[in-house]
Amino acid sequence: MDCNDCVERLFAFLDTELTPTEIKQVRSHLEGCDDCDDEFVFEARFLEQLKECCTSDVAPVELRQRVILRLRGEAPPAS
Amino acid sequence: MSGPARSVQYSGQVATDPFETEALSFLDALYRTALRMTRSEADAEDLVQETYIRAFRFKEQFTPGTNLKAWLFRILTNTFINSYRRKQAQPEFTELEGVDEFSLYRRMSDLKAASASPDPETEFLNGIVDTEVKDALTELPEKFRDVVLLDVEGFSYKEIAEMLGIPIGTVMSRLHRGRKFLQKRLLDLAQERGIAAVRATPQKG
Repeated sequence: MDCNDCVERLFAFLDTELTPTEIKQVRSHLEGCDDCDDEFVFEARFLEQLKECCTSDVAPVELRQRVILRLRGEAPPAS
Repeated sequence: MSGPARSVQYSGQVATDPFETEALSFLDALYRTALRMTRSEADAEDLVQETYIRAFRFKEQFTPGTNLKAWLFRILTNTFINSYRRKQAQPEFTELEGVDEFSLYRRMSDLKAASASPDPETEFLNGIVDTEVKDALTELPEKFRDVVLLDVEGFSYKEIAEMLGIPIGTVMSRLHRGRKFLQKRLLDLAQERGIAAVRATPQKG
């Protein structure tokens, strides 16, 4: 596996979507290639940061209450 | 008048139905995804309520022991596509200009060579704020955004493909290009904000 093949599989690797054989190939390339390894580390950090920023919001308290009331058939449909 | 009294009554409710308890544990995730998809708090609240009502109506179709979060998200996505997307009727931009060649990592490497900062990557990553990510997501065309939003909620390519009714290869390419677009926008925003490490022209002296 050369650098192009490796970087092509970067997101699939970080998303844990590769087959065990492909994972082994990518890992073995990364062990011997500092540049690709740096790139993988950077992208992994970026994705982590992205996920953190995207998953911090919580639903309004009133929404939770409204949903519960409607599910239990105790409130008429909104509007 | 019954509103506040009920709110108090139910604010510390103990759900007796395990399906309800588990389903409600995904309320925050469903809401924030709905909010980014509809870009309206009112629509997001309606969409989430509609999702739960359908989920309970078709409860028997859920196989216990399988992924309830994925099942709820499939209902959310279907409801959104069928009701809200049509309503919004916004132009669909099919391509993202210039994202394929863009490499944030390479840009960072170039900056590292030119910058006074010893670690522009960390400075950039730590400087990313929620509001910028949300703004960048708003600019991202819908078909890419949906895939990115489902990805950050932890779904696999296969689950996302099933939710959106598209091939796995399409999920991969949209996710790839969507992420590149966000990286490009976030770098632009960081440069506008004037983060020292990512300044287009490093200041001397």
